Amino acid sequence: MIKLTIKDLRLFFKDKRSMLLSFALPIALITLFALAFGGAGQGKKDTKISMQVSDLDQTPSSASAMQVLDSLKNVELLKVPLEKAQENIKKGDQACVLIIHKGFSDSLTAGKELPLELQYDEAQEIQVGLLQQSLIPTIAMLPFNIGNPKAVMRNRFDKMVPGASDTVKQNIQHKSDGLFDAITMGEMQSDGNDNAGAGLFGGDIKMTKLVAAEKDNSLGLVQAVAGTAVMMLLFSVVGIGAGILDEKQEGTLKRLLYTPMNPIKILFGKMISANVISIFQLVVMFLFASLVFGLDIYSHLSGLIITIVATAFACSAFGVFLASFAKSRQQVQGLSTLIILVMSAIGGSMMPIFFMPAFMQKIAVISVNFWSIQSFYDIFWRNLPITSGTFLSRILVLLLIGTILNSLAVVLFRKNILKLS
Amino acid sequence: MIAIKDLKKSYNSHEALKGISFNIKEGEFYGLLGPNGAGKTTTISIMSSILTPDSGEVLINGNNIYTHPNESKRIIGVVPQEIALYNELTAEENLWFWGGLYDVPKTELKKRIDEVLTLFGLSERRKDKVSTYSGGMKRRINIAAALLHQPRIVFMDEPTVGIDPQSRNLIFEVIEKLHSNGMTIVYTTHYMEEAERFCDRIGIIDNGQIIAEGTLDELRKSSSAKETIVITFNNLNDDKVQKIQSFWKDCNHTDDKIYFYTSDLKTELSKIISQCSDAGADIHNIEIKKVNLETVFLSLTGKQLRD
Ligand SMILES: Nc1ncnc2c1ncn2[C@@H]1O[C@H](COP(=O)(O)OP(=O)(O)OP(=O)(O)O)[C@@H](O)[C@H]1O
Ligand SMILES: [Mg+2]
Repeated sequence: MIKLTIKDLRLFFKDKRSMLLSFALPIALITLFALAFGGAGQGKKDTKISMQVSDLDQTPSSASAMQVLDSLKNVELLKVPLEKAQENIKKGDQACVLIIHKGFSDSLTAGKELPLELQYDEAQEIQVGLLQQSLIPTIAMLPFNIGNPKAVMRNRFDKMVPGASDTVKQNIQHKSDGLFDAITMGEMQSDGNDNAGAGLFGGDIKMTKLVAAEKDNSLGLVQAVAGTAVMMLLFSVVGIGAGILDEKQEGTLKRLLYTPMNPIKILFGKMISANVISIFQLVVMFLFASLVFGLDIYSHLSGLIITIVATAFACSAFGVFLASFAKSRQQVQGLSTLIILVMSAIGGSMMPIFFMPAFMQKIAVISVNFWSIQSFYDIFWRNLPITSGTFLSRILVLLLIGTILNSLAVVLFRKNILKLS
Repeated sequence: MIAIKDLKKSYNSHEALKGISFNIKEGEFYGLLGPNGAGKTTTISIMSSILTPDSGEVLINGNNIYTHPNESKRIIGVVPQEIALYNELTAEENLWFWGGLYDVPKTELKKRIDEVLTLFGLSERRKDKVSTYSGGMKRRINIAAALLHQPRIVFMDEPTVGIDPQSRNLIFEVIEKLHSNGMTIVYTTHYMEEAERFCDRIGIIDNGQIIAEGTLDELRKSSSAKETIVITFNNLNDDKVQKIQSFWKDCNHTDDKIYFYTSDLKTELSKIISQCSDAGADIHNIEIKKVNLETVFLSLTGKQLRD
């Protein structure tokens, strides 16, 4: 029995492919997820959420407010002119913009409510939510840190007890002024938590949806369907592509060459069948999502069809391309498992990309998944019309990926597969 | 009809064909007989224009097959050495597919499929997946798939390797029928019985070269091929072999056997036997081989066709 075990272990360690799958792949994925969730190395440094800021006030106070925001550990501040910032959001490049309206400085000195507004893309509400968590306490504390805390207190108290007599007011004002003087003079220590006052005073930011999200379809559902569909499609399409290599191994490819048919048709045949099967597969998945989870596909039918066709085209090209340079089905499968899992992880199939740190979001564009999933977001969540430039440019990228990979496949097929010697 | 001129082909540094030439007349049954690795499949692949030779050319009806690949492909049927069928499709589906690639019209193809299935005795199993077939049945369908477009020329690359005698006989009968209908056939094999049975002319190929060519009679009469007396000895040793070789130069020695070649069996058999006992060799068995392709091959190369 021990002999049998030893034999199995020996075979296992000799098989490079299974070694790769058992060790290298999980390690690569763990690394990737760790990076994506921001747990790696430099800790939270990498997990910055980017936020655009447009300063319409243009005063020293607004500048110092921006400085305070910039010092936040997990927010990466981008100073962008308002128009440009709004455009970025509409394009889906950025989640939100914080607008410092005119009169910020005056309100700060007068201790009045600050004219701040956060315009955001509802589709990215998870990211915006994360941002709010760190933003609101800081903004709430702004008047105390860079403004006139005494004035703030007076105004607040006026609001709290509108009917109080002047003497009462003066009495309280005096006491609170004294309290702040004491803080400033260092007699009372802050407990180290800058945000201590936040709960008390509340952060007043006006929230405005710049891009409204589709109400019928939940973000999670769109993510689950689109993410999974694209990843699974990649796997199945690689299987179809590898059929060419099976034909080579089983001799039917050679037999096809005996016939008067142009050999490149063998590849075109595979491409077409891969496309048909891919489209069919995506249609089934979205129908399922519609029937079982109530995804509203009918009011977005044209966009959905366009995206399905473009996704099928790009994905099947990927499958055929992989098959055209590998030597055997086994090789394709080893290689593709790695590539697909990595692409799916960085492209947002496994989790929404806005959960990932900025640099991960930047490299996401190298994956087919990213473009496809974002297109599905465009239709189901951002509710963009099919004529929208953002949506169309993503479709264009998918078609481009498909065209390039298909062309490469043709070249490689001629070079590798048809060569029988 | 087919002219093959000085084909050379190397795989990497290995020279698989070292200059192969032969001609085949219309309606002829030409056999390429040679051992494993002789270059038979390489020759067939070049003749079916799926492999480019390093030099030399193949003319079919005077046309170079590389400048007119599709014209030649339409009149040629190729039976590959390996069974090349879609296992998950039924026999009939396979035939529809392969026949369809030659643009045989539908009604015509349907008729042809019925014909070949009857010819190969597989009509009853036509709806079964090829994966459920026995080796012999797969071989039969493998041949049938090459005949659907009624090619005038058929290349068969070892179409009967590794099958049962029953399937083999059936295939032989079909091949003979095709030949008698005037089909030009190029048949590779390493079974000399097959070459002897069918072939009008035979090219013996070894090590990438045609080492002899002609009809069976011509090959038999070729100079060095003689009748062979194979004597198996008990306890043969080098000393005894040397003694025997000193009185009979024209012989070959392998293990415990010595092959004596003679052109006059009747008078020389008794002489050989008595001289062997004079040499002290203990005779275990005597076998007489008339001249056949095996002995021709042996005399040409000094090795067996099969081992
Ligand atoms: N694709 C290839 N790459 C490298 N060498 C090859 C290739 N195909 C054939 N050869 C070599 O060329 C020589 C001739 O091979 P070929 O297949 O033509 O022989 P064959 O006569 O058909 O043999 P068999 O009876 O075994 O089928 C052999 O030595 C073989 O090893
Ligand atoms: Mg061969």
